This record gives sequence, structure tokens and C-alpha cells, in this order.
Amino acid sequence: MASPLIREWAGIQQFPEATQTKLVNILGKLKQENVSSLTILVMGKGGVGKSSTVNSLIGERVVAVSSFQSEGPRPVMVSRSRAGFTLNVIDTPGLIEGGYVNDQALDIIKRFLLNKTIDVLLYVDRMDAYRVDNLDMQVIKAITDSFGKAIWRRSLVVLTHGQVSPPDGLSYDDFLSRRSDTLLKVVRSGARFKKHELKKKLLKLIEEDEKRCIEENRVVEPTEESGSEDDISNSEGDHVDLSCSEEDSEIPVALAENSGRCQTNEDDEKVLPNGTAWIPHLVEMITEVVLNGSKSILVDKNLIEGPNPNEKNKFLIPLILAVQYFFVMKPIQQSIRGDISKEDKPLWELRDMGSGARRF
Amino acid sequence: MALFYSPPVLTPTNHPSIHPAKNRRPLPPVQSLSSSNNSIPDTSPSSKTPPLAKTLALSAAAACAIVHSSFGGGGGGLGIGGGGNGGGGGGGFWSRFFHTQPAMAKEEETNEWDPHGLPANIVVQLSKLSGFKKYKISDIVFFDQWRRTNIGTDDSFFEMVSLRPGGIYTKAHLLKELETLASCGMFEKVDLQGKTKPDGTVGVTIGFTESTWQSADSFRCINVGLIPQSKVIEMDPDMTDKEKMEYFRSQEKDYRRRIDKARPCLLPMIVHREILQMLSDNGKVSARLLQKIRDRVQKWYHDEGYACANVVNFGNLNTKEVVCEVVEGDITELVVQFQDKLGNVCEGNTQLPVVRRELPNQLRQGSIFNIEAGKSALRNINSLALFSNIEVNPRPDEKNEGGIIVEIKLKELEQKNAEVSTEWSIVPGCNGRPTLASIQPGGTVTIEHRNLKGLNRSLVGSITTSNFIDPQDDLAFKFEYAHPYLDGVYDPRNRTFRASCFNSRKLSPVFTGGPGVDEVPPIWVDRAGVKANISENFTRQSKFTYGLVMEKITTRDESSHIAQNGQRQLPSGGIIADGPPTTLSGTGIDHMVFAQANITRDNTKFVNGTMVGQRNVFQLDQGLGIGSKFPIFNRHQLTLTRFIQLKEVEEGAGKPPPPVLVLHGHYGGCVGDLPSYDAFTLGGPYSVRGYNMGELGACRNLVELAAELRIPVKNTHVYAFAEHGNDLGSSKDVKGNPTEFYRRMGHGTSYGAGVKLGLVRAEYAVDHNSGTGAVFLRFGERF
Repeated sequence: MASPLIREWAGIQQFPEATQTKLVNILGKLKQENVSSLTILVMGKGGVGKSSTVNSLIGERVVAVSSFQSEGPRPVMVSRSRAGFTLNVIDTPGLIEGGYVNDQALDIIKRFLLNKTIDVLLYVDRMDAYRVDNLDMQVIKAITDSFGKAIWRRSLVVLTHGQVSPPDGLSYDDFLSRRSDTLLKVVRSGARFKKHELKKKLLKLIEEDEKRCIEENRVVEPTEESGSEDDISNSEGDHVDLSCSEEDSEIPVALAENSGRCQTNEDDEKVLPNGTAWIPHLVEMITEVVLNGSKSILVDKNLIEGPNPNEKNKFLIPLILAVQYFFVMKPIQQSIRGDISKEDKPLWELRDMGSGARRF
Repeated sequence: MALFYSPPVLTPTNHPSIHPAKNRRPLPPVQSLSSSNNSIPDTSPSSKTPPLAKTLALSAAAACAIVHSSFGGGGGGLGIGGGGNGGGGGGGFWSRFFHTQPAMAKEEETNEWDPHGLPANIVVQLSKLSGFKKYKISDIVFFDQWRRTNIGTDDSFFEMVSLRPGGIYTKAHLLKELETLASCGMFEKVDLQGKTKPDGTVGVTIGFTESTWQSADSFRCINVGLIPQSKVIEMDPDMTDKEKMEYFRSQEKDYRRRIDKARPCLLPMIVHREILQMLSDNGKVSARLLQKIRDRVQKWYHDEGYACANVVNFGNLNTKEVVCEVVEGDITELVVQFQDKLGNVCEGNTQLPVVRRELPNQLRQGSIFNIEAGKSALRNINSLALFSNIEVNPRPDEKNEGGIIVEIKLKELEQKNAEVSTEWSIVPGCNGRPTLASIQPGGTVTIEHRNLKGLNRSLVGSITTSNFIDPQDDLAFKFEYAHPYLDGVYDPRNRTFRASCFNSRKLSPVFTGGPGVDEVPPIWVDRAGVKANISENFTRQSKFTYGLVMEKITTRDESSHIAQNGQRQLPSGGIIADGPPTTLSGTGIDHMVFAQANITRDNTKFVNGTMVGQRNVFQLDQGLGIGSKFPIFNRHQLTLTRFIQLKEVEEGAGKPPPPVLVLHGHYGGCVGDLPSYDAFTLGGPYSVRGYNMGELGACRNLVELAAELRIPVKNTHVYAFAEHGNDLGSSKDVKGNPTEFYRRMGHGTSYGAGVKLGLVRAEYAVDHNSGTGAVFLRFGERF
């Protein structure tokens, strides 16, 4: 594996003082847990802001960002070290091409990741997309198929363009919770279900979701202010840490805003409309994911290609052969013999054999 | 009698060389037969097979004519008259039954007849008739003097008279007729009277007293074939009573010895009992009863196919036991001879054991000739495919009275044969319009060298191309060497060794789109290789084959370039080859050696034209680790098909076939390396009907279940079916998951109904996945 030169993490200096302090604290915490290196895989559809997020995270312009077209088919790994701690961020090309998952791109990513360990997967999507569709599902499915379901235990959904102004009648938090909810549902189902079920299940989910949205909007609109406030209070419990409360797979959601016009707070940190400084928050959540007790994913040949079905049970072949010989071929042979003995011989044939004299 | 078989004409060089008319009358019949025809229509065993009827009847008469003998002497054969001399010399007792003189009658019919010239309605003794006149007989009456009644025209006695009402006869004819009637042994006394009619014709009254013997309570049937006739010592009219007694006693003794020497008959107990019943019903043994017994015995023989069997005599009359002497038709010799194209006997190339092993034992020397055995021999020899004309021909043995020589006459096919068949195919040109260059000459060249060394070994090669101008584009060849009788031609085991070298090109159903998927670029699978196997036939249908296959598999795309992966069409219209790998090696070319075994158990048979029975097939391909990527695999398929007859029906030609339920199950599985071209595909006319080939998926394990109910309607049948195919979730275990890649379901059900029209099945099948139905026309059978 040709690992790129590990450079000193100079970009950290670019961050505001407050951010720097927070990051150093987090890193210290990681070190306490004996984690000295962290590999982050960034994946998502094309044009959602993967590369920008990577740049923001590192604090340098390490990967080229091209706004209007895919940034090239190759994944890039950026490694930075600071005080004995190594941070690897792998940026990948968008997975969607022409309405389908680009299997070739996926293939390249997989091959790039061969023999690397992924500590955290950042699944990046835009916050200002209003619904999930078939395409999201396909991407998630592709990721699940490639790296296994377990990867979702080490993953974090990142919503970019966090500075979005929500559509009419919705507060920011409300919008955020809805957006993350729908996306998480997709992710969860993508991570949980088998392929056939997934499709149906998801389509149903999406449909339901849309219906609910329509219904709710109908209810909400006339009562504008009060209604939306109720909504916030209702959904507050849910969205506190923006992680899902349901069932086993707790995939946290983090926000990012890579735009240069991002609002800043008094410490010059980039903040979201809800007041969170997003970079430290993101890193903190990454740490949480790292420390949540699940195993990191080692990408080996098996994982990429799946268990080779051609090798499965190969050792049983001699046994199978023996079973076939004794329990299939022999009985068939036996029954052929039975057929021969039972065969209706014409009477003239029997008579001549002497056995049938005068009896037929 | 002769049995003919002309194999279907396979090549233009193989002209049918049979002239049925010529062969239908195979033998110069024995002298006494020359003018006789058969007058026992109901005893002809072959009313089912019209073409054979005549020849069979002829031989029946022949066999009967060979061994003429009178009512055997000793036990009081009364009314024998002078008929005691056996052999073909005529004058035999029973030959009278068959003896008519149509030729004579016909000849004279054209002539004018003379009126009797006497007053009407007077009775004229035969002796009073004029010897110079030709009398027209207007009617014939049989008058039983014992019962003093006329007997009906349906009586068996009428068979014996050669006179026919309306016929024209001279006095000599009538006298001769009377003489034969008197000497036939049926009558104790017989006379013939004329009665003049007003119109100048003569009515004939035959007055008779039937011969009767003392009643019997046992019956015995013996085979007297091949036993030389006992010589009858002429009784000297001047013998004293004592001498006469002595004479009768010696005759009796002779006859006893003869009976003891004779072999038991094939006649079964049932018929035996029937005849005993007849004997006890009738009391006295009369001539008519004997005639009935004869008819019954002969009918049984002929019904069972013993075409040469005949009752020749009744002996031991006037005792408690009636002895029926039968010549059953013992085979004294089996002759196999070859004929050249002109029908002359020649030396054949085929070795005799090859023919002999196909003959049933029942045709060997010492057996009794049965026409079914003859047919079976005909079929077996024909299946050798070595002869253009086969005749199985029983012929009376001149040296052994009552014996039959079975002659098998064979015309060999040309040993070397070459054939070219051509065809023009029109290929759409670049604009979809055919041009001059797009009309391609194609065809097949076949060369054949069969029956090498006279042991039915053969070497066949064929080359097929769709374009002779550029044959390299599409050239299919096959060369095969077949070596039968691997264990020696005398060994009853029938194993055949075959070695062949072949190539083939097929469209892979693995790379097919599911419903709603745009056209998937096709992948062609080219196979070229060598195959060697040994197959052993257990029965006509059940067999076991095992061997080795060595082949090279190349996968190509539409433009004949080697394809390493399956392709798909992008929405933009481009084609991208990122699909499942086509080969094991991933290069598009695989080499492989594997062992192959196939065991088929098939006991299906036809009941009135419908298949009934069961068929089990197990096929196994075992990879040996030789080839690209050292493939080791065990690919197996088990097919079970049951044709269950739902109703008992009477078998026979023209009878309606029974309704049949067909149950079919097919399991396929593979453990180990499975390249895409060996994956099992679901969907298609022989998998799950109502779907296209491979439309349901390509998988590692599969199950197909089908049921079909066939109901006969008129001359054909209608059927309803339901089928299901399932990949058992094994599609993902095929590398690249082609089922998923081309968006296929992996399972499917269909149902429908159809009608069979000759070879074509027209059916409506509903595809249960989409719920839509369509009409399909298919050739051949699904199962």
C-alpha cells in the first residue's frame, strides 16, 4: 500500500482559537483511549459537498473542489499528524452517474481501500434536499453491499449546507429533524434489510413520508406560528443529539456548512443557524462514534468481493460425490433393474423361455 | 409372408429400394398350394395389419399344405377313405377345407351354359346328367339325412364345397366334387342330386350323413411338426379278420408312439378347458365339432402371432381322447443373407454377429416362429441403421416337414457417404435492407464412413456454416467416432464408446435482462473441445453415460470480440462492460477438463399414443481441477418426471388415450467454481413457461416444479399447466450476481392452458410476476 507522506497537521492552526482548543481536547481524549490514528471515509452522492467537508475538516485546501462536475474518478487520502496522532481522511468521488450507482467508481473505491481500516464513515448528503428517493437508497445499498452492514455502526450522517433557510412554515430545527429522520430511515433500512425487501420497504417508507408531509403541511399552514412551535417542542426530544432513538442502529447526524459565507460566533468559529460551532461538534461526534464500542472495518479482499461463492463448501465435494454415487446413481440403477424385471414381456417371449408353457 | 421395413430415407443417395408388390408374395408356394386360396377369413391373425394379411394367410395355407395327413389311423379312424397319404401330394383330409376352384369357375363363367333340357322340377340323379352339357347351378342345398333337415348356408360344411350357386359346371366337375366330399372324412355317406328348374338351370342337393365318433371327455393337443409322417401300410382287401385286427392294433401302437414322441403344444390351459367344454356339450364327436375345435385352436395360434401354426389332423377318434395334431411352425434354420442393389445374394460387409445379436431368441433354431419375434427382429435390425432394406421371411423347409426356415435378407447401405446441403440466408444489410452481398450461401457438408470393419463402427463429420464465402465467421463442426460393442460383439452387454470433437456457439441466457430492462447486449458462448464417453444401454430408453470433456470456452460480445464481463446499456445509449465476469479466469477464455456422467431411467411407454410412465435423469459434471484457475466443481441436476395415467383405458389402435397428469421436478446445484456460462438459468419454454429464456435469473441452485394435466380431445389433447421456478436465494452465489445485475426476480410462477396441434403446441401462459399473459407457439414437448 502506497501511503502518502504523512504531513504535520498545519491546517489546525487555521482554525479559531476556541476550535483549536476543543479539537486538542478531543484528540487528547482519543489518546487516552489509546487511539492514535483515525481513518475517516467520506462517501455520498456527487455534488453534495464531500470534498469541501474534507477541506473544512483538515483546515486546508487539500482536495480540489469542483462545483459543477465530479472531481475525478479517483479517491484521495489525506493524512495529517499532530502530536503523535494521525488523521486520515479519504475523499471519494460521487457514486452516482446517470441516475444509477456507478459500479465502476465503487469498484475503484473498494480497490483503493483494500487493506485499509476504516474507523468512521461519513455519509454526506445535502441538508437542503427535501426528500429522499430511489437514488439515495441505491447509494446506501451499494455501500452496504460493499462494506457490509457493520459499517453503519461506525458511521455518521453529515448534512452539508447546514445554513439553509428552511421552507415556509418550518423552523430550522424542525426542518433539520425531518430531514435527518427521513434520511436516517433510508439509511437504517439500507443497512438492515436484504436487497429484495429493501426496495419495497423503502418505497413504502418514502411514500408514507411524503403523505405525512402533505398532511402535516395542510394542518400546519393555517395556524402558522403556534403550530410550528408545537412541532418544535414535540420533536425536541428527538432531535437533541440528532441521533435516532429507534432500535439498534444509532446513526448520529452532524451538520456542516462549508460555505465561506458561514456565520461565525464571537470566537470566530463557524456556526450553524442553531448556534452550534460545527467543526468541533463534528469531530466530537466522530470521536463518539469511534469510541462507541463497535469494531472498525478492515477492508480486505473478502469484504470487497464478498465471500467467494466459488470457494464455499468446496471441501465438501468429495463427500457430495460419494453421496451422489451411493444415494442417487445407485438407486436409479436399481430402479432400472427393477424396470427390466418388471417389464411386460409379450407372452410369446415368455412362452419360449419354457416358464410359461401352457399357462398363457 | 414377409415383413418389410424401409428405414426413413436419410440421404438422397439412399433410395428406397423396396417394391412391396414384388415381395408380398415371397415364396413359390408348395405345389398343392398353387391354386388354392384361403377360405378361412376369420382365422387370419392379421386382420389388424392389412398389408400383411394376404401374405400371412398364404403362409398359413402353405404350412397346412405341407403336412397333409388324414385322420390318423389306429384308434378307429373311420371314414378315412383313401386320404391316408401325407405330404404335399394332395388328397389330404383338411386341405379340402381350403380347397376351392375359383379359377376354374371363373374361366367358364364367360361361356354360355346349356339348359338342362329336361322337364322342370324333377329330381335327377347325378349319373343321369349329360356328360356333354354345361350346367348352370342355381342353388346348392345341404340336406342332412340323419336329421332330415336342410342346413343353413352359414354352416361350416358350405366351406367345403367348391361349387358356387350361379356357377357353370360339367358332369365331370360334379362327380369330382362328390368324390372329394366323400373322401374328406367328414361324411359317412354323401350323394349329389340335381333338381331341374324351369329356367333351365339345375339346383343341387347334397344329401349327407355326418361322420360321428364316440363321445370323448379329454382333449390333447400335440405338436407334430418335424415328426416324420408314419408310413401307412396299404390295407390289403383280402386280409382275414385276424390280420385286420393285427393291422389295426399295430396302427394303434404306432399312433401311441407318435403321440408320445410329439412335443406338448403351446396351447394354454384356458383354451384347453374351452375345448373340453365344447366336447362335453356336444356329446358325440361330430365332424362339425372337430371343425369348430380346429377353428378355435387355429384362432388362438394366429391371434398370438404363431402365423405358421396349423391344425393338421385329428387322431385317436373313437376313443375317450381327442388328439389334435398341430404343426406349430418350428424353426429349423435361421439364414441371414445379404443382397446387392439388384437383389442378388452377395457377401455382406457387416459381420454376422452384429446382426445375430439383434435377433430375439425366439427366432433361433428350435423355437416356434412367431410373427412378433419377426417384427422385433425387424425393429432391432433397423435400429442399427446399416441397411436400406430388411426382410424377415419365414419359408417352409423342404427337407423337414413342418419346419420353417427364417430368412433374413438385408440390403446394406453404402459404407461411405458424403452429402452437401445448401441454403441461402438473407442477412439485413447496414440499412436494414438486404443487398447483394448480404445474401449468403450457407450449408452443411457431411461425410460419413459407417460400418467400419463390419462392426458398425462409424466416423461422421459435419461442417456447417452460414456463409461459405467467409466460413471463418461462423463455422460449426463436429467429428464423431462411434465404437459399439466395446465388450466384444458376443458380449450381451451393450456399451458404446464415442469420441467427438466439436464446437458450438450459443447465446448465453445468463446475460438477459429482466422485465422492463432495456435490451441487454448479448454474450455468445463459444465452446470447442473434445469429448470421449462410454454409454451403456440398459433398456431401449434407460442408459448410463460417462466420460471426459475437454473444452475451451470463449465468451464474445455482439461484435465477436472477446468479452470478459457482462455488458449493459447506459441510459445515454452507451454500452458499458462492468457486469458479472463471463468466465472463471476473467479473461474471456477458459480451458476446462471435467468428467461427466448421466444416468437416465426411462420406463415410459405409449398407451394409445399418450406417454405414461416415469423418467428420472441425473446428470453430473465433476471438475477435476484441470484448466484455467484449476476449476473444481460438482454440478449436478436431477430431473424427475412422472406421467400418471388417470384412467384405465382399453389399449388398441384407434382407442382414445387416457387423461394424464404430468408431474415434473428439477433440481440443479453446483458446489465449487461456477463460471457464468455454467450457471443454471430460470425461465424459458423448458424451464418456466411464459417467460423468456433466462428472464427469471441465473443461479447456483434451482428448483423447478411443474404440473400439467392432459385431457384427450378427439385426435389430440388439451392441457392446463402451472409451473414454478426458484433460485433458492442462490443468485448471489454466482459471481457478479447476474440475476441482480440485470434486475431479474430470481423466481417466478406461471400458469396457462394450451392445445397440441400435431407437433406444435399453442398455449396461453400467464406470467405471474407481472400478471400478464401471452400466446406462445412451441415445437415439441415440454417434458
